[in-house]
Amino acid sequence: MVETRTMTPKERVLKLFAGEKVDRPPCFSGMGNATTEGLGRLGYKFAALHADAKMMAGVAASTYKLTGFECGVVPFDLCVEAEALGCEINVYAHLDDNILYPTIKKKIIHNEDEMGISIPPDFTRRGRIPLVKEAIELVKADIGNDVAVGTYVLGPFTLAGQIMELNDLLKLSFKKPEKVGNLLDTLADAIVLCAREFEEAGADYITVREMGATSDVLSPRVFKNLILPYLKKIFGQLRTNTVLHICGKTNDIAPFMVESGASAISVDQKNDAAETKKKIGNALLFGNYDPYNVLVAGSETNVRQAIRKCMDDGVDAVWPGCDIWPTVPIENIKAMMDEVINYRRPVSN
Amino acid sequence: MITEEKRQELLDRLRNSVIQYDEDGAKEASNEVIELGMDANDAIFNGMVSGMEEVGRLFEAQEYFVPELLMSADALYAGLDILKPHVKQMDLGVKGSVVIGTVEGDVHDIGKNIVKMMFDVAGFTVYDLGRDVPLDKFVEEQLKTDSDLVCLSAMMTTTMVGMKKVIDDLKAKNPNVKIMIGGAPVSSDIAGKWGADGYAKDANNALKDAINMVSSLKKMKEEAEARKKG
Repeated sequence: MVETRTMTPKERVLKLFAGEKVDRPPCFSGMGNATTEGLGRLGYKFAALHADAKMMAGVAASTYKLTGFECGVVPFDLCVEAEALGCEINVYAHLDDNILYPTIKKKIIHNEDEMGISIPPDFTRRGRIPLVKEAIELVKADIGNDVAVGTYVLGPFTLAGQIMELNDLLKLSFKKPEKVGNLLDTLADAIVLCAREFEEAGADYITVREMGATSDVLSPRVFKNLILPYLKKIFGQLRTNTVLHICGKTNDIAPFMVESGASAISVDQKNDAAETKKKIGNALLFGNYDPYNVLVAGSETNVRQAIRKCMDDGVDAVWPGCDIWPTVPIENIKAMMDEVINYRRPVSN
Repeated sequence: MITEEKRQELLDRLRNSVIQYDEDGAKEASNEVIELGMDANDAIFNGMVSGMEEVGRLFEAQEYFVPELLMSADALYAGLDILKPHVKQMDLGVKGSVVIGTVEGDVHDIGKNIVKMMFDVAGFTVYDLGRDVPLDKFVEEQLKTDSDLVCLSAMMTTTMVGMKKVIDDLKAKNPNVKIMIGGAPVSSDIAGKWGADGYAKDANNALKDAINMVSSLKKMKEEAEARKKG
């Protein structure tokens, strides 16, 4: 069923962030949502997107154009900040058909003694920060009147795990928390510098992805003492709408996530969203369908069930638990959109 | 021969050094085991592995998290390095060989390393391909080493899908090989759907499953041999 438009998808998202009433939850994401369908129509290879602003923007806009999914998000990998700090990345250009996300090939911190890094003076002009900035501007120019345009940066702990061995980082967060804290402090500054550039390019919302600090890996206590202060530092300095995303187990840290100062928090399918919603009161909760097992590998019925569950649980935006894997069937995204538009929440109280 | 009392004391010290992630303590107790001529097998299994089992329980109870797990593993390896050369015969009823690695596109190897440690302790021959391993490499290595078991790990949804291809290729080349998959996004559902023989819910289960699979594999081979002879 086609929706009678009372507001554009963009207005809906912006109103939601502003704390105003919306007619229904928006259905969008703050993380990657390239589709092989979109890639195919444009004739691009996934591995080529990461180094070309025009391709990146084209693919970001294609998901909305093909399915009505209510956003445009760049980039498509998690290496932008690490690369600008001096890491080397692998985009797996040798793989023609297989899709792989870029990874860090060469780290900049090799042992504990090298943790006292400083931010390069020309940081925001390094690596692909200018390229992502340009891509944001291109997506804005293309679909920015209709939908909100988003981008993301890593959280400080996750970024630390990109520039040094995660093994070492985890052990040091226990053995030498003050040393890790100093590194996170520096990285928080770098993240703010990067996010500021993206704000300048016109990003309507920025997601901070701090999946390295999930309770599957770190205790809620370590999260609160060691990581939360630097997340607060970041959100305290950003001006646009912000989302804090953490995947995996997050039920115990959800209140801390809200305390970080993000405009909204984002969780994945491992979170009991109904319980979280109760716990965090009026704070915005985005989530939490399984982007692979449901949206990519599930049937249309699975998709509709999962979306209804999100809405019954009371999420403020229907939003995936991670990047959407590109081989997602377009029909499944359309079914999801249809369900969000037509499934009405039971009247509360 | 050492007294039962001394043996108990050393086992406790080994066990506690693992639980309290005390590398130096693990080394000291292990050296004492060797000096006093205590059975290294006994020290490994009733001391350190017993400690690691407790660590697994604490992890499950969410009293321990990954950093504690990693530090405990360091303590276990510190002791194992000293004790292993003195092990006369590892006997868990089965001796297997295993190819293990994290699939291409994934640079996370913590889970893989913990599972690898369990195999090391149990006396499996482990061919560790590391992380970010090109998919063909798993097939190549299995054929080259004729391993009983291949373990694939992925930490991210975005890399997990590569596993399906490896499973298909392995099964096509060698229908008898057992395949186990694990990692945060993996579920027993996915393992079943993609034709894997096992799903590593955690390191303890991975080892138990592996021992079962290798045992059944050996039994199958023996039965086939027996039929041939008969």
